[in-house]
Amino acid sequence: MLDEEAVEYAREHERSTGRVLAVDTRHGEGAGPSEPLGPPGPPRGGRWGGRLLNTAVALCVLTVLVHAVLVFLHVAPANVISQRYARQVNAWVYPLFEQNWRLFAPDPDSVNRTISARTAHTARDGSVQVGPWTDLTSTDVSAIEHSAFPSHTSQNMLRRSWTSYVEVLGGDDVPRSERAVMMQRYLRNIAAARMADLNGKPFENIQLRVVTVPVAAPGAAGDDRRPAPAQTRLLPWWKVGSDASEGK
Amino acid sequence: MHPKESDPTPRPAAPHDPGRRFPSALTSGRVLTRVSGAGRTAWTLLTERPLSLYAVSVLRMGYGLLYLVFLLREFPHRDQIWGPGSPWTPALARQLFDQTGWASVLTLSDSRVYFECCYAAALVVCALFALGWRTRATSVLFAVVVASFHARAIFMTDGGDNLVLLMALYLVLTASGRRWSLDARRLRRRSERSAPGRWRPEPAPPHRSVRATLVTTVHNCGLLVIALQVCFLYGAAGLYKVQGGTWGAGTALHYVLNLELFQPWPALSHWLDGQTVATAVAGYMTVLLQVAFPFVLFGRLKYPVLVMLLGMHVGIAVLMGLPLFSGAMIIADAVFLPDRFYTALADRCRRAVRRTGAPREASPVRSGAVPKQGNPPSAVPGRR
Repeated sequence: MLDEEAVEYAREHERSTGRVLAVDTRHGEGAGPSEPLGPPGPPRGGRWGGRLLNTAVALCVLTVLVHAVLVFLHVAPANVISQRYARQVNAWVYPLFEQNWRLFAPDPDSVNRTISARTAHTARDGSVQVGPWTDLTSTDVSAIEHSAFPSHTSQNMLRRSWTSYVEVLGGDDVPRSERAVMMQRYLRNIAAARMADLNGKPFENIQLRVVTVPVAAPGAAGDDRRPAPAQTRLLPWWKVGSDASEGK
Repeated sequence: MHPKESDPTPRPAAPHDPGRRFPSALTSGRVLTRVSGAGRTAWTLLTERPLSLYAVSVLRMGYGLLYLVFLLREFPHRDQIWGPGSPWTPALARQLFDQTGWASVLTLSDSRVYFECCYAAALVVCALFALGWRTRATSVLFAVVVASFHARAIFMTDGGDNLVLLMALYLVLTASGRRWSLDARRLRRRSERSAPGRWRPEPAPPHRSVRATLVTTVHNCGLLVIALQVCFLYGAAGLYKVQGGTWGAGTALHYVLNLELFQPWPALSHWLDGQTVATAVAGYMTVLLQVAFPFVLFGRLKYPVLVMLLGMHVGIAVLMGLPLFSGAMIIADAVFLPDRFYTALADRCRRAVRRTGAPREASPVRSGAVPKQGNPPSAVPGRR
């Protein structure tokens, strides 16, 4: 039985690695030149050493199992088990093993968002000049067009900053948590940096407007890909400058 | 089955033998013998034979190169994404780290020079990791690099970055430098120098084989975690899609194809969007493949499924402009290909190279001398 196993193993090994086998076994650590397949489990390093080694191996296996279970609970929809053990799951998974595989699921986004910005500058005489709306998303879209490897700055930066903003702040624009203040600042910084790049004029305040256009349902007339009901969300004016530079 | 088999096995029961702890009633004993036999085989496999050494090497090269290409691609935007000039300022990043427990070497200093040094060091680490130079140490550095860059720009990441991070962490556990690496080449050369034409077994002190056992065990555990992770990914991606109405109606891809930020070739996207039946079939296939993935891995069916997934990811890369994500997924899939696939591939490449005229590589001694083949049990039928 033992020898059969060994022969089977060697055959399998040869199948998988070709010529390598002959070299390997000569190089095999701890195995004498004519030593047959020893009893399983390592009798090396004395009885205590062997026990310690077995314990270490068992701990490795246990860790793998625990990791698998906790990551599974993290990935699965919220359920009775993951709710009961939320503390343990989160303690293990965050931050390194955090993951979300709801890729275009349950349903893919069915809207295109256009984020625009305009700036205001207070002149020395006290008059306020408000600039025209500038479409920030279209710069991203044109940067992505005909690019085989679009940059994260055009594909993810503005898009994800907005989804994160909505996630934390919801429908109104009053930050109610530290995280909300941070997301607001991030969004404002992106817009401010882009506006400064685009027209280079000085400004102290900035305002964003987000237009959400649903993708037409399939079967809609081919040319008319943008049906009417678009939603517009106007954000409040935000101050740029003092705390933008303080943030840096 | 002979009743005698229910006796304790003729082999000395190792301390880890799980069967030993159970009462050996005659009927259950037979089953237990089998179970303990299987357990022993599994234990031997786990502790003595590092599996899929080629596959993890492919993962090492793949992720090292992928992240290198990614860092180089973002070279013009590096300050905007990870640098002190990012809209996600170092202060904001540090504030978030305080809340989440993340850390990044990039936020240790706000100086531009420091950032440029980190960026350059990251390029070097990625390249060395892909090449397999001092692989274990480099793999730790690679994980630190990926985690640092990921955490610094956490709000600019997508699924691809997420997967690369997880794999970089898991690869630390594996012996990813044993094949197709500078380490392997160095070992081979050293042994060729010390004993030309012949390998001489090095005397192995006991602590070394303890180390080998641990290294092998951790490697196999890491490999298992990688495989499980990919299964979770596909399973979750598929099962969440099953809950969506548009995937059920076969119209999901219509919406995907109309997202402006995922349209590098708008004409192509619009043309495909017109192929209603084809996109519906592709959508159904996507869900089916993802849900089925964990279940086909143990049979031959995995090959066509892997080929179809490869096609799907190439499609995503081109159509949606997500080459980083697709690349990360393709490399992850490569973990499920057996070593014999990779050796056959290498053989074929070598033959092709030889045919096109590189006579130096033709030495059979050289090509056969792959060093440090883990630590397989030393039973060789051809040797007495």
